[in-house]
Amino acid sequence: MGNSISKALGRLFGSKEMKILMLGLDKAGKTTILYKLKLNKIKTATPTVGFNVETVNYKNVKFNMWDVGGQQRLRPLWRHYFPATTALIFVIDSSDRDRMKEAKEELYSIIGEKEMEKVVLLVWANKQDLKDAMKPQEVSNFLELEQNLKNQPWCVIGSNALSGQGLVEGLSWISNSADAPKK
Amino acid sequence: MQNDQQRLSLHNRAVLTHPYKRLGGAFPVKSPSVPNFHDRVYPGHSSSDPALVNDDSILSGHPTAEPSCLGQASPSEHDGNLSVIDLYGDEVESQRVDDDDDDDDEDQDGTHSDDLDLVPGEGGHHVELDDVTAATSKSASADGVNNTHFDRYGFKKQNNYISKSEYDSWWGDYSQYCVRRKHKWQLLLEKSGLPVTDDSPARFPSKSERLKRYVRKGIPAEWRGNAWWHFARGQEKLNKNKGIYSQLLQKMKQIKKQNPNEKQVQDLDIIERDLNRTFPDNVHFQSASYNKEEPPIIKSLRRVLVAFSLYNPKIGYCQSMNFLAGLLLLFLDEERAFWMLVIITSRYLPGVHNINLEGVNIDQGVLMLCVKEYIPEVWSYIKPSIDHHQQNNKTFSPSNNKVLFNMQKNEFLYRLPPITLCTASWFMSCFVGIVPIETTLRIWDCLFYEESHFLFKTSLAVLKLSEHELSKTKPRSNSLNYSWTSNQRNGSMGQEDSDMEIFQVIQTFPKTLLNPNEIFEKIIFKRRFNLNRLDQDEIDRCRKFVAAQRLKFKTYGELLGSTASEAELTSANVNTDAKGTHITSDAVNEALSSEVYGFKKSLAGVHWNNSIKEKVKQMRKKKDRND
Repeated sequence: MGNSISKALGRLFGSKEMKILMLGLDKAGKTTILYKLKLNKIKTATPTVGFNVETVNYKNVKFNMWDVGGQQRLRPLWRHYFPATTALIFVIDSSDRDRMKEAKEELYSIIGEKEMEKVVLLVWANKQDLKDAMKPQEVSNFLELEQNLKNQPWCVIGSNALSGQGLVEGLSWISNSADAPKK
Repeated sequence: MQNDQQRLSLHNRAVLTHPYKRLGGAFPVKSPSVPNFHDRVYPGHSSSDPALVNDDSILSGHPTAEPSCLGQASPSEHDGNLSVIDLYGDEVESQRVDDDDDDDDEDQDGTHSDDLDLVPGEGGHHVELDDVTAATSKSASADGVNNTHFDRYGFKKQNNYISKSEYDSWWGDYSQYCVRRKHKWQLLLEKSGLPVTDDSPARFPSKSERLKRYVRKGIPAEWRGNAWWHFARGQEKLNKNKGIYSQLLQKMKQIKKQNPNEKQVQDLDIIERDLNRTFPDNVHFQSASYNKEEPPIIKSLRRVLVAFSLYNPKIGYCQSMNFLAGLLLLFLDEERAFWMLVIITSRYLPGVHNINLEGVNIDQGVLMLCVKEYIPEVWSYIKPSIDHHQQNNKTFSPSNNKVLFNMQKNEFLYRLPPITLCTASWFMSCFVGIVPIETTLRIWDCLFYEESHFLFKTSLAVLKLSEHELSKTKPRSNSLNYSWTSNQRNGSMGQEDSDMEIFQVIQTFPKTLLNPNEIFEKIIFKRRFNLNRLDQDEIDRCRKFVAAQRLKFKTYGELLGSTASEAELTSANVNTDAKGTHITSDAVNEALSSEVYGFKKSLAGVHWNNSIKEKVKQMRKKKDRND
């Protein structure tokens, strides 16, 4: 209810605010992405205990980005805090083929939750700079989003948090897709 | 930087030539990476002090008389650890210390008389300080150049929150503070009849108000390992469990070979992924640029964490333990670091790292109670907004309001305010990475001496200090006195916005607390804030209360067939809207709200005093009448 009001206000004043939840397995690169976007700096990677939250402004959109610690057992701490999420970003380490299946299971368990019904889903196939990284198309095929996601906009974009490649494209896609009067 | 890398690699090489010799190769008792904190800036109190060696001999790696902080390292290992860290010297300028108001500065609330009686006399005091500064400036010229980027523990000085110049100007003063404090410690030990020639004493005076004050003002860095071990009664623990650590290491080898699919092995994988992400900015945790070999401390970290996950499967491995173990390894040998990790996770933070996370939630409930009690001015920023209740109860009536009000009293113990998403990590990692390192260490000093209530005190102090920043955030649109309709008009965007800002303050502000004395002297020990009232007893009672309340809530929920599942109960959920996850029955609310935690002061402090006053009054009256 409140969400639709804020959206209406946003449209009225020509600026938008989006609550974005960034998830993924541990060590996928979530925090690195966040600080690349926020500060254009590479932060040395450490495990996130808890979460980081930053606002990132892109064009006239304010993205409130929540980067949440990856270890699965800590999920119950925060999972119910995010009902009003506009978009879900799922970050995947494209170079870690061993954990691809785990990532897929995690992704489906998240979008299977009630709060995540119909949210816009962006998958960042991260670490594209690494030699044996799976290409975005491969990642997309592996995740089988085409077959399984009928009711929500989704997209897989290759990214490299170190260079920033794919990051702006991702946010831009989210801001366009969240406009769709779906919700 | 280049220089540091070279020095580090030297350090590694020297260490690697002596692996695990002493125990016949079983495992290293002493982590090779324990930095060698050796004192050479404080020559003051004794002319025959071995600390008076000149800097050249140290730089060339000459094994001087100081033992390492463990007092058991072989000279050669010791040797290898030299030089990365300059304890007090770097960047200390040779300015004369004009102020001898040392004690006034550092001792709050009239406690300085204790310290003063340790100082031989005004004049002597002055002379010593001059000596100290002279010595520090000397070593600064010898060593300072190489340590421009890293602090005395090997951490990078500069980061996104603290600039190099901020760091330098703080360290200029703080390093002198450290020197003065160390001197006082030395005098204290001397006075207590304990040996001080050994630079890293293994024995400390028995607990006393004075010792507590000394600990609160900081344990000398190179004594920390031993002091923590002593105050946390580590040796006791180790004596009861002799040989366990090496058995665990044996088991670790077998498990890897035998059961590649077990849960324990999953922990191993997670640990593996976090090893190189633990303190990547610390020189001891980095491999030398030309040499891809894993630094010894990373190997120790792996063994400690894996051994722990085998030792306590209820906890296994939980992110944040890598930081705890990592910091311990900077100050203690491997086996002692392991037992300290056991002590932290069981005695100080019971259940906090357990898989079910109930311990974290209990502690967050306790913290919220304390915030409400001790710093109500901050509570108003972080208390849960109630608009979701109002949305649930679409018909907003006075009777509903009453229930809501009652619920408000206690409900935050189960539906923890969102801010606890932030503060939970303060506890899990004992402030490692939350506040700058020197501040973290000061917190740890007190934690081991005063036990877990100190973490609550510190949290309250940090929140109190952030009040100013919080006051700059957009005002929250809803509070209890706000009417429902105006809430609606404001919409939830304002709420979301201000929540976001509050989160950012709570996340960022602690990282700027470079000067430990900011928190310690201005808040924690300041009488005005009354935090001294909060003692271990209170926290223990409070933990019991919160645990019981949470359990009750869960049981009621189950009895009523509410959809509230355990996962939802343990979640930091305030935004759940009408999905039935709320306990809607008034009866339950009433029952739960009838119990309110009473902080001791209201009984012991005010009431007790009042009743005494009352009695005295009555006795006087009686006396008057009799007269």
